[in-house]
Amino acid sequence: MVKFVVWGTLLFIGALAACVLTQLLTGGINTRHLLYGRTVRGRAYFSPERVQLLLFTAWVALSYLLQAVEKRSSGELPDIPSTTLALLGGSHALYLGGKAYSMLFKKIPKGEQ
Amino acid sequence: MQLAQAVTPPSWLTAASGWVALGFLAFLGLAILYYIFTERIDLSGLISEPNGDASMSRFQLLVFTFVIAASLFLIIASGSPPSFPQAIPQGVLILLGISSSSYLVSKGIQFSSPQGVSARSPQVTIKGTSDTTTAGGKTIQFKAEVFGLTNDAVDWSLDPPTNMGTIDTNGLYTPPPASPQAPRPTGKVTVKATSTEDTTVSDTATITLI
Repeated sequence: MVKFVVWGTLLFIGALAACVLTQLLTGGINTRHLLYGRTVRGRAYFSPERVQLLLFTAWVALSYLLQAVEKRSSGELPDIPSTTLALLGGSHALYLGGKAYSMLFKKIPKGEQ
Repeated sequence: MQLAQAVTPPSWLTAASGWVALGFLAFLGLAILYYIFTERIDLSGLISEPNGDASMSRFQLLVFTFVIAASLFLIIASGSPPSFPQAIPQGVLILLGISSSSYLVSKGIQFSSPQGVSARSPQVTIKGTSDTTTAGGKTIQFKAEVFGLTNDAVDWSLDPPTNMGTIDTNGLYTPPPASPQAPRPTGKVTVKATSTEDTTVSDTATITLI
């Protein structure tokens, strides 16, 4: 019964992930302006800090999943190296810093106020 | 006085309870998947902000939650017999901490700015240095503030388009020249700024020629 529960849960997570992925790819889930930020004046701008966060997220998530598949028989979750965590933390700090700057602190040029 | 003895339920009752709980959870899981599949559970705003834009912080939290949950259950299922890991590695906890706190800080920034919470529609607003002049008199500089569009450029126009002055591409209005032979033009002139990106978005201002 335990095996049935565990595999059933895994199947449920897989099916849920498949639903979300399908809807992300077919436009069922809104992805408008995912890589765009907003200025103080509400203008959308292409945001490199969001692109780098997307790349770091994809890299860390994929490498962790592959590690988990590879080491599944060990019975323990694989750890994440501190260098990877530091890089991911930096990536998030860059994203949040960019967002805070554009939404809260960026000065409107004189004459456009 | 005799102490009450602990009552152990019969094994068939334990097994039956387990199967009932399992059946209920399986039914719940299938119902959720069915409702998502038939769009009765709407996922369209799963990673959206209140202003309608998709959110990178929600997206990364979603990805990491799925990856860690799937990895955990994969590890449990692969054991023989299936067993929970002895410990959750510190790195995984830190990763989840970074992901969740980034989401929370992002929400804080989002809700600290009016642009982050309201789905304000695009608009053009005209600002001018004055609203009255005379034929042959001073020019008036207009500026257009564009909100919610990628392109700040606007097209300037006048109504009526002739005999009541001109406006250049920078929003500088020049009144008509004063001529001793002709009567001095007076009346109202409407200045219009239309967004080049979305021509349905515009604003007007009025100049009075006295």
